[in-house]
Amino acid sequence: MKQHGMILICIFLGGALGTLFRYIINIQVEGFLFPLGTVIENLVGSFLLGGLTGYILHKKLLPGLKEGIGVGFCGGFTTMSTLAADSVFLVLNNPVQFFIYMSVSLFGGLLLALVGMMLSTAFIRKRIFKVGGDQ
Amino acid sequence: MNFLLVAIGGGLGAVLRYVLGVWIKNNTRERSIPTAMLIVNLLGAFGLGIFFNYAYGEIPMAAYDKKPYLFFGIGFFGAFTTFSTFSVEAVTLLQKKKWIPLFTYILLSVGGSIIIFAFAFFVL
Repeated sequence: MKQHGMILICIFLGGALGTLFRYIINIQVEGFLFPLGTVIENLVGSFLLGGLTGYILHKKLLPGLKEGIGVGFCGGFTTMSTLAADSVFLVLNNPVQFFIYMSVSLFGGLLLALVGMMLSTAFIRKRIFKVGGDQ
Repeated sequence: MNFLLVAIGGGLGAVLRYVLGVWIKNNTRERSIPTAMLIVNLLGAFGLGIFFNYAYGEIPMAAYDKKPYLFFGIGFFGAFTTFSTFSVEAVTLLQKKKWIPLFTYILLSVGGSIIIFAFAFFVL
């Protein structure tokens, strides 16, 4: 029970931080008429969560840290509801931009998640190999 | 103040996403597509549609001077839904070469979120 409470606190803090970062990026690109912020956040967040997923397949993280970073930070940093709202807005106002927005989000998100997974897996394998070599 | 609204809304959204996700996983049988985050994302898109519909009557873009938009739009619904888990779960299906579940999952998540948002925004 105590551990459940700690996991929830980690998720709250990670989610708050991820959402704050998302807001800060949104403000930076405010001048653009295209909702560029959400695209950047969803791509970067997919890469990070891919990296984390690859990492925890091979290595253990402190309890709470996995949920804090993965569920909290990456989950809060990225968003599907704003993607849906942006999409409806763009379909009505600029269908060409909608097509670009959707293609980049979808293909970019999946590609970056895959790259993140492969990079962290390669990194850990190399490190395990190195440690093994030292012994 | 704005930072606090966004952060608290986001923290609460993330916690509720986790709690609901665990509950769905424990109370539904396993399917060929990951349903927990799919349901959460559809619910969140529906909620944001209702919120924009009744609070503003339009889709506010970058309305950072409006406090409810910051707390609910960016914060709560923004963080309650997630794109990163969607990407990773889709890639997992891709790596297992489960093509039909993969395309079903992508279509239901992205197409479903857009349609359910539009329904909540225009129809209700």
